[in-house]
Amino acid sequence: MTLYDMSLEAMMETLPLTEPVLLILLSLAGQPQHGYSILKDVEQMSGGRVVLSTGTLYGALWRLLDADWIERLEEKETPRGRQTYRLTSTGRRNLQLEVSRLKHITRLASLRVAVKES
Amino acid sequence: MLTLYRFLLCFYPATHSLEYREEMAAVFAEARAEMWEEKFMTRLRFYWREAAGLMVGAVQEHLRGFPTGRFEMRNGFRFPKATAILMAVILGGVVLAIQKGEAIQASLPDVNPVIGPIQPAPHSPLLSGIVVSLIFVYAIGLAGWAVLFALRRSGVHRLADAADPK
Repeated sequence: MTLYDMSLEAMMETLPLTEPVLLILLSLAGQPQHGYSILKDVEQMSGGRVVLSTGTLYGALWRLLDADWIERLEEKETPRGRQTYRLTSTGRRNLQLEVSRLKHITRLASLRVAVKES
Repeated sequence: MLTLYRFLLCFYPATHSLEYREEMAAVFAEARAEMWEEKFMTRLRFYWREAAGLMVGAVQEHLRGFPTGRFEMRNGFRFPKATAILMAVILGGVVLAIQKGEAIQASLPDVNPVIGPIQPAPHSPLLSGIVVSLIFVYAIGLAGWAVLFALRRSGVHRLADAADPK
């Protein structure tokens, strides 16, 4: 799906992604993860630039759960702090839309910068 | 530190803290264990980030019900007991400090002492004003909480839920 295939509604739904939220979604895109592994993964992906506190992480997770972008895996006998989260189909679709949007902007930026340089 | 962390979690809406308190505390404990061998300043930054993140997160969670413009009565709107206790302690401390201040003022001799018993100094209007203002603010807070509690008990939130089924 490209940026141009998106409906306006889908665009509005997807566009306001902050960097921490984008990184959290990217962290969950590979495999389901629990809270602490998301924290570490986000830090690693951003090269140590984005370091989330637990308050920030869970604030974002609650919003994503409410929006049905992620879901909590109900596992019996899971130790505390090891509740895993995974992307829903809605979350994955919106993440793909956001990645498409970013690709479009990057391409556009490259073109504009190249024109300016020449 | 974990005790302080758990205390700060009390400022979150009740629904969140009950459901996620243990999970967040466990994640924090795991992160703290990793920080143990770091430098003092790194650990300090970590604790500061965690405390600030919790306080900002708690405020954001409390404000989450407002952007729709509709009053949604949820468990999350319950006035935190910890805040009520903190307000009571602060109020008690202020009253005690004023009383002590007045006692010290009354025991100080005048520059030209008069013969006879020392008269207690009259109440300072500024101090009295502060106390009255604090009591007023406290009473308004209590009344607000009572209204929210009464609305919750009356089942108003169910009407909102029925009007907007998800």
